[in-house]
Amino acid sequence: MTTPSKFDLPQGTLDLLILRVVALEPIHGYAIAQRIQMISKEALQIQQGSLYPALHRLENKNFLVAEWGPTETGREAKFYRLTAKGRTQLKTETESWERLTEVVAMILQHPLGERS
Amino acid sequence: MNWFQRLSKTQRMEKELDAELRFHFETQVADKIREGLSEADARRATRLEFGGLAQIKEDCRESRGTLWLVSIVQDLRFGARILARSPGFSFTAIVVLALGIGVSTLAFSLYNIAALQSIPVRDPATVVRIQRRSPENITPGVPYASIAFYRDNAKSLSAVMATMSAAPLVLNQDEKRIGATFVSSNYFSGLGGSAAAGRLFDETRDDSASAPVCVLSFRLWQRKFGGDPSIVGKSIHLGGRPATVIGVASETFASLGTDDPDLWLPLLQHSYFVEGSKPLADSNFDGLIEMWGRLAPGVSMTNAEQELLSLTDQLRKLYPAVIWDHEYIVVTPGAHFFQFEGGPGSPPVLPLVGLLVFLILAIACANLGGLLLARGAGRQREIQLRFDLGARKLRVFRQLLTENLLLGLLGSVAALPLSYGVLRLVLVYSSAPSWMSALPDWRVFLFTTAMGFVAALLFGFLPTLQMVRRKKNRSLWHQFVVCAQVGASCVLLILAGLLVRATLHTLYSDPGFAYEQVLSIDPGMSEHGFTPAQAKAYLDQLQNRLRALPGVTTVSIAKIPPLVNTEVMITSIDVDGRRVMIYPNWVSPEFFQTMRIPLLRGRYFQAGEKNAVILSQSLARKRWPADDPIGKQWKNGKDIVIGVVGDTRAMELNNTDATEIYYPPTADDFPGMSVLVRAAGDPNTLTPAIKAIAGSIDTGLFPTITPLTAGFRKNVSQAEQVAAIISLLGGIAIFLAVVGLFGLVSFAVSQRTKEIAIRLALGANHARILSVVLRRFAWPVLVGLIAGVASTACLSQILRRVLYGISGLDPISYVGAMAVLLAILTAAASLPIRRAFQLDVARTLHFE
Repeated sequence: MTTPSKFDLPQGTLDLLILRVVALEPIHGYAIAQRIQMISKEALQIQQGSLYPALHRLENKNFLVAEWGPTETGREAKFYRLTAKGRTQLKTETESWERLTEVVAMILQHPLGERS
Repeated sequence: MNWFQRLSKTQRMEKELDAELRFHFETQVADKIREGLSEADARRATRLEFGGLAQIKEDCRESRGTLWLVSIVQDLRFGARILARSPGFSFTAIVVLALGIGVSTLAFSLYNIAALQSIPVRDPATVVRIQRRSPENITPGVPYASIAFYRDNAKSLSAVMATMSAAPLVLNQDEKRIGATFVSSNYFSGLGGSAAAGRLFDETRDDSASAPVCVLSFRLWQRKFGGDPSIVGKSIHLGGRPATVIGVASETFASLGTDDPDLWLPLLQHSYFVEGSKPLADSNFDGLIEMWGRLAPGVSMTNAEQELLSLTDQLRKLYPAVIWDHEYIVVTPGAHFFQFEGGPGSPPVLPLVGLLVFLILAIACANLGGLLLARGAGRQREIQLRFDLGARKLRVFRQLLTENLLLGLLGSVAALPLSYGVLRLVLVYSSAPSWMSALPDWRVFLFTTAMGFVAALLFGFLPTLQMVRRKKNRSLWHQFVVCAQVGASCVLLILAGLLVRATLHTLYSDPGFAYEQVLSIDPGMSEHGFTPAQAKAYLDQLQNRLRALPGVTTVSIAKIPPLVNTEVMITSIDVDGRRVMIYPNWVSPEFFQTMRIPLLRGRYFQAGEKNAVILSQSLARKRWPADDPIGKQWKNGKDIVIGVVGDTRAMELNNTDATEIYYPPTADDFPGMSVLVRAAGDPNTLTPAIKAIAGSIDTGLFPTITPLTAGFRKNVSQAEQVAAIISLLGGIAIFLAVVGLFGLVSFAVSQRTKEIAIRLALGANHARILSVVLRRFAWPVLVGLIAGVASTACLSQILRRVLYGISGLDPISYVGAMAVLLAILTAAASLPIRRAFQLDVARTLHFE
């Protein structure tokens, strides 16, 4: 049941994933975890212990705002929404992530990178 | 949102955080039920996945950034609860801290008043003190010729002031003399002083050229003249010379330096008030006139020093004899009561006092640390629980430190009134200038708070670290602390005992002479320049008139009236290589009857007899242990021993070893002689008559009349004060030692609870367990006691002279002190063990 994530997320990556998911529509914490899990095809399982501190951190940095609203089941939940500042942050973070992966891939795939 | 708003919204946020997590939890449970699990299983699984809910919340709080403040408030509140839960511990801790911090606060307050606070004068920053120095010489005084030269030529000083304290003067006919200071006529205007009545000296009016004048201090005005403003313009007599009161300085006026005179006189009229003196004209007159200045605008003290140095070189050409080789001028801030100058060769007073004070704080903290350690052992379970609930080490450490800090600050708060109270007493008893206030200023507040922090670190850091690390400790350090404490308490307690016994001894033992009905009359002839012939005539006349006075039994004269003089003379002879200290006195034949000192052998002096001496019994015995001293030659061979009288403690009540020698007065002694009068009844009733007689013989003299009982009381009260202070210190030392030992024994007991329980379970008797636990402390206590007794025995030899005839090894004081100390220590040590005996054996063993 309690399958830990298949691999450890690099530092700061969780924040990027959260921003990405929240960018689609206002969403509550539980749904964020579910969605990441679903999109990653169960490869990523976000622990509550890291999800909520991350959410509060992002809210504190004004990348997210939260308001209480009813869910489809009628319960009150805290919905997070991206701010303008958060949107800019998502953009720059995404770009830098892409550049990083590109560079890392470039080095890893370079034939001279391996010693024979 | 700033942090304050956040803090105010903390409650709401807490609620929201809780709701948010609960929503997550419930939704997850609902999903699992939908997947087919029973509700109970779903809940259990979710709970497992969630892990520590409190931990998640804490992390969320932390990521909000408000945590440090919220948690400090939280920690403080928690700490306050913990302290309130054990009031005994808290109270002890705060008292210990208040003592430790209070002493340092007191020392700092004194330093603050003396050296940091500016005296209340106009623009204190530009007031400077000017002193001359050379590699060989240090003096506070500057010759008046130099002062005048600097005043006329220095451009870096906008004003130059001079002060000179005078010997105490007789005001009108009062017995109590008053303090006076001669000042330059710009003194008050230069300092910005104002008058409460009349006017002050004024350079433009040139008071010095007019008739003699004076300015009263507010204090003297109130005390002597009842604050009557009509005193202005009236004439008073100072040392027998009339002077006109021109005004009264305001209550807040502060004198420069440590002087706090009752009145001020113009420096230029010095030779009027002190006949024959020429301090201003005589360029060699030195050492008494102090120089002060006001810096011209924009001039620094270094600039002024440089200019004055170049002026000194010009001065040298004018007065080559007055200016030293390599003389230079030192300019220091002048608007402080006292300056701590670290001249070469002077003892480093400040560092020493600082060290001592810090040591006291350290001792207090070491004791408290022991107590804290013991408590830490008791709180081990609580801390373990917190770790189990997921608290991080750092967090628990911080929480405990906050608790210590709270304790430290409470100690500071308690220390402030303590130091304030003592400081007030000190200021009152030392009759400090009225502008000095015991109220703490911002520096004192800052210092005390800082000491609270320092103390918290000192006493708290190690025990706390140990609590968090959950390590057991058994160090030599504790034993050393106990040893040192017991030793110190022992010394103080024995000394207190000795001093108390000595005081009682003085009060209730025979001093060898009868002082109760004797008055001493000091005419003060030498101060008024009497020649020996004039003095003899005066003394003869006074004695004859007094003898005729009803109620007077005997009259005599003595150079050193017993008990009254603050200064006594001591000479010595060597007898077979051993030095014998002797108090000499020059007396008339009737002295022995007046003082009721018995004649043991030989005879008294005859009138006008020369080259004869009378010895006290103990001196005669020391000098000639086997022979009859009568007729023997004394020392130089000129003086013959004619009599032996009883021993007295006339010169120093506290010295039972005292030996005396009496000489007939020579002509040169007369101006310095006092008259002693024995009354048949109450001697104080004779005082008015004596005053009248003295006034009719010579109107210029104002004799000081003192009953010998006053001198005796003064002697005894000094001893009583010393005894009281030492007893207080002893009490504090014992208190600290008790706290320390209590803490350490409690700690030892808590470490061995299991062992004690097993022993109890196996039926060991209490005494046996007591000895097992206490064995560790027996040695340090014993060593401390021995060290304490040994050091007191050494110390008491130095203290012999204040011990008033009690042996420095007085067994009652020693045994008494040790018994008291041991009893208190045993009580302190057995309390925690007694508590251990009451523990529930089964539960303890089960728990362990």
